[in-house]
Amino acid sequence: MKLHILNRSPASSQVPAQALSAMGPEDRLLLIEDGVQGALPALIHHYAAIPGRLYALREDLVARGLIGRCDGTVQVVDVDGFVTLTEEAEQTLSWY
Amino acid sequence: MRYGILLLGAPYSDQASHSALRFARALLARGHRLEAVFFYHDGVYNAARLAAPPQDEPHLVDGWATLHAEHGVALQVCIAAALRRGLLDEREAARHGKAGHSVEAPFELTGVGQLIDLGQRCDRLVTFGP
Repeated sequence: MKLHILNRSPASSQVPAQALSAMGPEDRLLLIEDGVQGALPALIHHYAAIPGRLYALREDLVARGLIGRCDGTVQVVDVDGFVTLTEEAEQTLSWY
Repeated sequence: MRYGILLLGAPYSDQASHSALRFARALLARGHRLEAVFFYHDGVYNAARLAAPPQDEPHLVDGWATLHAEHGVALQVCIAAALRRGLLDEREAARHGKAGHSVEAPFELTGVGQLIDLGQRCDRLVTFGP
């Protein structure tokens, strides 16, 4: 299982689509920085292909006033959870 | 676990440096070892010794230096990326006939081979891009 780390929003970039196309069936996706916009209900359809494997970084949601506005399917993790996700993955890949 | 961080973003231009520093602190707090941070592309600006951000903002250069002082984290700067951006230590400044230097310890100018080595040596290499 690989952890993909994404800092781009699907509203303004093709990078999220590229990340999704590279993901294996067990891989997880963590949204960070402006990437957390993708966790909003209006954009969540971009990630319909990876149910249960989508995460968003709490600190970056808070910094943007988006905490509590995420779609219910997104698992919100803090930076400790970010470290845990890297522990659990064999490898990490960053998309930017 | 042994971690390495590859940082490609310039300080204060995008969030990469802040994200990387926050991640570094978190993994150290969890008892992992951070072998090195490798600064590459515009990430080399994190090593600018003359950086003087406003006092009420995070001081990234000092933040990295603190990681080195408290946890022995190596701060490796790609020499090819640094020199062309005007980031020279004393030795390189003398070699190129420059009056001052802009990089100092604990940052060290190294070759990109060190990045390959870091990737092989660490259990996890995490990249923070612009």
